[in-house]
Amino acid sequence: MFLALREIRHAKARYALIALIMLLVSFLVLFVTGLARGLAYDNAASIQNMAATHFVLQEQSEHRLARSAVGNKELAAAREAVGDAQATPLGMRMSAVMVEGSSGKLDAALLAVDMNGWLSPSVAAGRTITGGAVMTILADRKLAESGAQVGGVIVDVATGIRLTIAGFVDDESFSHAPAVFISLDDWSAMQARTELAAGPSADASYNAIAVQASGDRLEALREALPEAEIITKADAVSAIPGYKEEQGSLLMMIVFLFVISAFVLAVFFYVITLQKAGQFGILKAIGTRTSYLAGSVIGQVLLLSTGSLAASSLLILLAQTALPASLPFRLETDTLLLTCALFLGMSAAGSLLSVAQVARTNALDAIGRAAG
Amino acid sequence: MSMRSGFAMRGVTHSFADGGTVLQVLDDLSLEVGAGELVAVMGPSGSGKSTFLSIGGALLAPTGGEVLIDGESFAGKSPLELADLRLNKIGFVFQSANLIPYLYVREQLMLVAKLAGMEKGQARRRASALLEQLGLSHRANAYPSKLSGGERQRVAIARAWMNDPAVLFADEPTASLDASRGRDVVGMIAERTKAERKSAVMVTHDDRVLSFCDRVLYMKDGRLVPI
Ligand SMILES: Nc1ncnc2c1ncn2[C@@H]1O[C@H](COP(=O)(O)OP(=O)(O)OP(=O)(O)O)[C@@H](O)[C@H]1O
Ligand SMILES: [Mg+2]
Repeated sequence: MFLALREIRHAKARYALIALIMLLVSFLVLFVTGLARGLAYDNAASIQNMAATHFVLQEQSEHRLARSAVGNKELAAAREAVGDAQATPLGMRMSAVMVEGSSGKLDAALLAVDMNGWLSPSVAAGRTITGGAVMTILADRKLAESGAQVGGVIVDVATGIRLTIAGFVDDESFSHAPAVFISLDDWSAMQARTELAAGPSADASYNAIAVQASGDRLEALREALPEAEIITKADAVSAIPGYKEEQGSLLMMIVFLFVISAFVLAVFFYVITLQKAGQFGILKAIGTRTSYLAGSVIGQVLLLSTGSLAASSLLILLAQTALPASLPFRLETDTLLLTCALFLGMSAAGSLLSVAQVARTNALDAIGRAAG
Repeated sequence: MSMRSGFAMRGVTHSFADGGTVLQVLDDLSLEVGAGELVAVMGPSGSGKSTFLSIGGALLAPTGGEVLIDGESFAGKSPLELADLRLNKIGFVFQSANLIPYLYVREQLMLVAKLAGMEKGQARRRASALLEQLGLSHRANAYPSKLSGGERQRVAIARAWMNDPAVLFADEPTASLDASRGRDVVGMIAERTKAERKSAVMVTHDDRVLSFCDRVLYMKDGRLVPI
């Protein structure tokens, strides 16, 4: 680092400029990554949060919860295969709701789960739902921004059913809409009302059966329900409308930003290295090992990238507090660290071109050129 | 006083293959330079003086023959070993000073000491002493671009002496200097060569500095001959 640091000291403006470019690019990388993570979360949080490994869907529902209908028959078969506790029904319906006392409709995802089972979300404010209460819900805290409060009421627009908010949950959403959890009894009662015209339904109807299973039990499940679609949680997530498209385009942007930053760095350092061929030649002539010079070049690149990353991470943390809550931005520490590590890796890869150039530099040529 | 220090070339030949034709530059060249001896090499342009110096300085492998420093042959050494040899046993003063532009004068010396693994305090003392002797103490914290040509050449000499080499090679060290500066620079090389019993070989076109040298050799038909 003796040479690397002193060279930066000598040409501060030049290195400040490249550090600034790297800061901007890495800021953009972190920002888009945060946005991608935020959108993913907004779109699929509730499914991600579920402790299920797989979901059982009706045949030909193409992995989409909304297109699937399963009943007690399938539930019984699933429980037979994987164990009573390891299979639990899940109802899902996108819905429009109104907060009572305020105007305007809101999107919400109704999720029907066993409130005593492992799909029930943990309550962040208010209280849990117990057996006796009828038409009570746990709502995502985002609804509070629209005026909802614990003990208040939201109205399901399609059925006119009034739902009392027992408590709020954090970070629960599906398909960019805040999630509203209701009990299985309330779900059945709700369906009974909508189906009145069509006559009483013979069988309770859910969208899917969430299961926790692997290995033999999973095989047993597939044998017990040969017709059904049995998909992993990841499949269910990527089948959410728009999820794959959103993540795909953002991922492409991130990859391009990585490639651009590596490229900019590689070219910058390659040009500098070419300019310095004479110096490298002299250093070699007076006995400097090539490995030392290579280390010096890589050290410089890593020093600049580390500095730029530290600055842009700080900026992104500041930006995060300043961003409006409506912008789905989410950057967990491990994602941040992983992105930084990848960025460093790309920078190091970009410097290899220069290292190759240093290795090629011939001491004698350099001296001849300098002397002639 | 080490009597083992010395530089020798035995039957060195070198030829460049240049686009089909082979150019024989050195032909069975032999030379011994003892401890405390400064040898001047003269000769017309293109006669092979720089080639001879590059081979002596372990920068170029000869087509044939043997080169020894302190009785140790270069033959069979890896590029890494040759780099270490240049670092520890050979001091080089190039025609133009060839300093590193982004290092202060003192750091030019500290770098080679650091590369050779010299202890820091010792390196600092040695650098200060060398700069003092070459009249550069007041410029120790200047960049090379701020120095005069003569000052730069003296820094290059200080750098060449820094790791206490057995042999010093200088390729036209006075070419960019006026007469009196040129005499100063060669005087310093001669003085240190005597005082520390080193071997030194200097290529020069400058008649006025020959009085400092113990021997003057001529490059003729690929060999070094006395005048
Ligand atoms: N890399 C090379 N490839 C081919 N020919 C070379 C190479 N280096 C030197 N030569 C040739 O070898 C001969 C000797 O060159 P050298 O540089 O040793 O001469 P010199 O005595 O130092 O000359 P000058 O006094 O002009 O510096 C010249 O004819 C030169 O053209
Ligand atoms: Mg020459």
